[in-house]
Amino acid sequence: MAQRAVWLISHEPGTPLCGTVRFSRRYPTVEKRARVFNGTSYVPIPEDGPFLKALLFELRLLDDDKDFVESRDSCSHINKTSVYGLLVGGGELWPVVAFLKNNMIYACVPLVEQTLSPRPPLISISGISQSFELLFGIQDFLHLGQKNDTELNTKLNQLPDLLLQACPFGTLLDANLQNSLDSINFASVTHPQKQPAWKVGTYKGKPQVSISITEKVKSMQYDKQDIADTWQVVGAVTCKCDLEGIMPNVTISLSLPTNGSPLQDILVHPCVTSLDSAILTSSSIDAMDDSAFSGPYKFPFTPPLESFNLCYYTSQVPVPPILGFYQMKEEEIQVKITVNLKLHESVKNNFEFCEARIPFYNRGPITHVEYKVSFGQLEVFREKSLLIWIIGQKFPKSMEISLSGTVTFGAKSHEKQPFDEICIGGTAYLKLHFKILDYTLTGCYADQHSVQVFASGKPKISTHRKLISSDYYIWNSKAPAPITYGSLLL
Amino acid sequence: MGPLSRETWAQRLGAFRASPSAFMAGPEGEDLGRDLLNELRSEKLSEQTKVSLLALSLEYPAQLWPDAAAAEAAATSLLDTLVLLPPRPSALRRPLLLAATTALAAGNALGPTSGASRRLLPLLLGLASGRDLGRGFGPASEQRPLQATACECLRELESCKPGLLGGCLGLLRSLLGQEGPVQPLSLLLALALRNTLVIQARARAGLQGLLVAGDMPAAGGPWNWTLAEEGDANLQPQAPSWPAAEEEECGLAVLEPSPEEARELRAAVAQLLDTSYLLTPVAQAQLLWLLGWALRGLRGQPPVLFKPQLVRLLGTAQLTLLHAVLALKAAFGEALFTAQDEALLLRRLTLAAQHPALPLPAHLFYLHCLLNFPENWPLGPTGEETAPLLLGPRLCRGLLPSLLHDPSALLAHLHLLCLLCAEDEEKEEKGQDWCPRHYLGELLAGLRQRAALHGGPRALATLCFQASYLVVHCLATQPTVLTPLTHGLARLYRARPALAPHFVDLLDRVGPELGEPLRTALRQEVVSRPGRDEALRWHLQILSKVADGKAPSATLGFLRAAAAHCTDWGLQQALLQVCRALLRAGVGEGLADLLQALARHLEDPDGRDHARLYYILLAHLAGPKLGVALGPSLAAPALTSSLVAENQGFAAVLMVQEAPAPMRLSVGPRRAAGPVPVLQLQVEVLEPLYSVELRFRVEGQLYAPLGAVHVPCLLPGRPCRPLHLPLQPRRPAPAQLAVRALFATPAGLTCHAHLPPLPVNFADLFLPFPRAPDGDKQGFFEELWDSCLPEGAESRLWCPLGPQGLEALVARHLDPFVVVAQPPTSYHVAIRLPPASRLLLRLEAAQGDGVPVALRTDDWAVLPLAGDYLRGLSAAV
Repeated sequence: MAQRAVWLISHEPGTPLCGTVRFSRRYPTVEKRARVFNGTSYVPIPEDGPFLKALLFELRLLDDDKDFVESRDSCSHINKTSVYGLLVGGGELWPVVAFLKNNMIYACVPLVEQTLSPRPPLISISGISQSFELLFGIQDFLHLGQKNDTELNTKLNQLPDLLLQACPFGTLLDANLQNSLDSINFASVTHPQKQPAWKVGTYKGKPQVSISITEKVKSMQYDKQDIADTWQVVGAVTCKCDLEGIMPNVTISLSLPTNGSPLQDILVHPCVTSLDSAILTSSSIDAMDDSAFSGPYKFPFTPPLESFNLCYYTSQVPVPPILGFYQMKEEEIQVKITVNLKLHESVKNNFEFCEARIPFYNRGPITHVEYKVSFGQLEVFREKSLLIWIIGQKFPKSMEISLSGTVTFGAKSHEKQPFDEICIGGTAYLKLHFKILDYTLTGCYADQHSVQVFASGKPKISTHRKLISSDYYIWNSKAPAPITYGSLLL
Repeated sequence: MGPLSRETWAQRLGAFRASPSAFMAGPEGEDLGRDLLNELRSEKLSEQTKVSLLALSLEYPAQLWPDAAAAEAAATSLLDTLVLLPPRPSALRRPLLLAATTALAAGNALGPTSGASRRLLPLLLGLASGRDLGRGFGPASEQRPLQATACECLRELESCKPGLLGGCLGLLRSLLGQEGPVQPLSLLLALALRNTLVIQARARAGLQGLLVAGDMPAAGGPWNWTLAEEGDANLQPQAPSWPAAEEEECGLAVLEPSPEEARELRAAVAQLLDTSYLLTPVAQAQLLWLLGWALRGLRGQPPVLFKPQLVRLLGTAQLTLLHAVLALKAAFGEALFTAQDEALLLRRLTLAAQHPALPLPAHLFYLHCLLNFPENWPLGPTGEETAPLLLGPRLCRGLLPSLLHDPSALLAHLHLLCLLCAEDEEKEEKGQDWCPRHYLGELLAGLRQRAALHGGPRALATLCFQASYLVVHCLATQPTVLTPLTHGLARLYRARPALAPHFVDLLDRVGPELGEPLRTALRQEVVSRPGRDEALRWHLQILSKVADGKAPSATLGFLRAAAAHCTDWGLQQALLQVCRALLRAGVGEGLADLLQALARHLEDPDGRDHARLYYILLAHLAGPKLGVALGPSLAAPALTSSLVAENQGFAAVLMVQEAPAPMRLSVGPRRAAGPVPVLQLQVEVLEPLYSVELRFRVEGQLYAPLGAVHVPCLLPGRPCRPLHLPLQPRRPAPAQLAVRALFATPAGLTCHAHLPPLPVNFADLFLPFPRAPDGDKQGFFEELWDSCLPEGAESRLWCPLGPQGLEALVARHLDPFVVVAQPPTSYHVAIRLPPASRLLLRLEAAQGDGVPVALRTDDWAVLPLAGDYLRGLSAAV
């Protein structure tokens, strides 16, 4: 259970190599074991240059895909996971765990403690999940609060030292690199016994506990007879517990109002010490009925020092917060659009912001727009072929607003307009972006009085809630739209 | 080299990292390892620079110190540097320990004879146990991190040399119970415990009190290498390969600890598990993999110890933890997971595979785990991805593919959908509107629609074909899926012929279930729209793949129409490729006319030549040979250019290939009769040969040129009649025949081989005289005898006799030539030697060991040959 090597590669389309190795680390003692375990199927870790080239080719991130290349485009070259085989130096390096996120490719090669021919299933390779955790850990570290390239560079420069702490010999000790950074800084503290490895020091200061619940709502609305609209709430509860003592115990209860929607699919942070079986089994897979467990949801835990996600959940609320339809008809070089949005009466009508983005893909720039809005204002981004309907902080009293208009397009230029593979012809969507503070769609809240803390001093407890939209699509009902299986189960 | 500045080092390290092999091959390469060790003691460099030097040595020890001796020296130097550090806080101690460990472990230097090993191991163990190593070894503030680091170093050494710490189990346990750092000690103990159990099981030894045994090795005392030596032969996986795969390899089943040992073992495992919540999630996962492996198959060690941990673990979203639970599931099955537990685990896994809070790579990994789920009672064949029994359509609902997915996500979910469709075959006909199969059809149609977009990225087309391939792979037996797929693909081709290479690739890889109907559909699609077309080259590419003997007239019609538009070389070649495919398929009628027309009218001379060649082949070669001539070239399988491959194919088939001799020829018994000497040849072959022609050449023109011998077919193991080779000597003399064989192999190649030369002996040329008149044999002989002189020669010689005596000798060698015999003492022998010589022998008055022979011949040149022959007779068997 170890890693042979790890890489960070920035993806730079348009440059000659299409990418640069920003960081790499090899583990020679693991490599030595790989040679023994893999036997004749052993393929050594290549140098950075060849690795970069092979990986970008396999991930289809080189600019050149004009011609059919069998080793990449063959129908039997099927990849169903983020694990790849790379052709390097005459052999195939496998398994290479790799994914692209925010223009950065995260990659590593776990040790497989057996021969690679035939390939063992991934589930049997203990290093695979460790690879993912390492890469997720690096990703979290790089993007936590990162705002610009300078900060990214600073963090990249810290990586060698951090991995020396978190993964000195290729066996990952802690995926939380921030923790490793702290441990370097905490190095002079004398640790008492039974200090958890995931908590490098102890907090000194005023005790306080902060709990914030963020719900994201996503939706796919079609306005069609035979296709069901879908929507789902995904919640994340984030905590920061500044408490003295080595192992303070905290219990947080999440509650629902009487008509609240039960929480399902609950995943908890590893610091949660025990879990009610009702929490463990409440799942969106089952048909909903009145007997569904509706809380309170108790989470006893020993908090780490840093801010962490205590739990995630999903929930199926009875109605989407905003219901709408979008009709778009093509008429030669222009399209006619009609949009109607209705805020559900149960939803708090007080947005931090609310807007509808209406993109037009695979067309030329907008040359002319004629429109009428019943509320809010429309902004036109001609070059981006995008309309943004700014609805603002509140829906009007009727709770219903509409937009209609005609949009004319110029000639399409291939270079500027990226190709969209979904929105072809009449297939189009509008996407809602909104945020409501101090509100959750499920009604879920953390009662200050229900928070139990077993530590010295009475902590100050603060709670926050917000609802934000995420992937909230309303599809053109006058054309085919991509559906999921769930939409077919009316 | 003198001391280098920080900048120089930064530059040097940068150049090294850019390409270590290039740097090491350069002028500075050789000194780098030595310089690095020296610079670590330099007063001028900052600690930060030294750390970066050590970091380099952690990554590239094999380049810096390429052999065990260099690694040993480097580790020694690193340890010297470590002990020479002043007793103030320093950032170097930790990386120095890591570097010395890496140098020894990666450089194959770790062992009882290594001085550095003998220094490093007690140092690490001392640090790990928190023992005061004296003021020389760093300030107190560094003790704790160094203790953890020492544990990590020991764990790495134990990983590379299992059994190294077998003697320290008791010590590690007691340290864990006291105040040592929990995580490093837990992981170290778990690994050492696992390795010890494996080694002892293999040696069929018990735990021998290792779990309780004492204190640390005395400072300066010898390290116990016994277990490490035993474990050395076989590096053990830290985590088991999937248990189902190699139940035997586990090898622990034979270890039967005594009740006392079992109790200690249980206590040790419980101790580790109880404090496991203090470990980071990834470390917990490692611990579970190790302990699961350690206890698997161990008698008297029920896995219930793990049970209290499971609920906590199942609730988390942590990938390593869920993976470790799956490993425990695979290791212990029903012993740890009841049917209800299994169902719960499966539900959590299903949930994790689609939970919106988790990233896509995690989803895909969980999906993989679902299709490889270690069921308690698996039904399907092992090693194949299947949907677990408990994973019904209802659980899968959120796991089905959608066009909004990324390519790999779509393929992963599509695979699951295919498996559901395969299971659902019989339930299908119930007329549900949105059954999985219907959904599958819609999805594939959507993929094709996207692939059909002109100017769309190739990735979309590739995805469509990968999905089609996957569906065929899983659902090859379901016509309700394949028929619409075939039609859909044909429509896709109509919409975007530029996808021809994808179609060719697909046809190459699918079985006949889709391949046959798709070929037909594509052929019809192409030939139904003749004429000039942008897509002509794609049409021709497809036709060259799908043209077969069926409906040749439509294909030929298309080609005739297309020929007029094939104005450039590439198109003409593509056209000829189709002709070639038709030739192979045995289409004759109509094709000859087309080829002739092409040979006359094509603009390009190369094209005309090719057409003519095909025409000639068609006219002259029989079907099977034609098939081989045009078939894929065996000589150049790796070449992608069909033209080159084709030329090589022709070269191979139409030219004669040099080959090693596939047969053995030998001269059989003589057959002294007839007008000329005839050699009887016996043939043995190693492989089937056809149309064999044997050609002989006489060295020195002693005989007239020999005719070839033809055999239609030679098969190994089947006896062949002897072959007759008539000789026409110009002089009665022995000779060597050079032999060549020409033959066709079963693969249709014509080959040519040199065989070892065949000797023709003097006696092979003997022929009897025509029969003498019955009454007067003696007179006939005397007449011959007299006629030899005066032109000829006479001689007398002693012919030694073997133990068999004269009678046997004559019967064996000379019987056909005896004219007058008075057995056992007197024989008169007359031998005709073509072309026109005679040899007459009188063997009379034999004595015990020989017989005097009087001989006459009319040919002087024969005399020495005859002499040699007679003298050699008794030796010849």
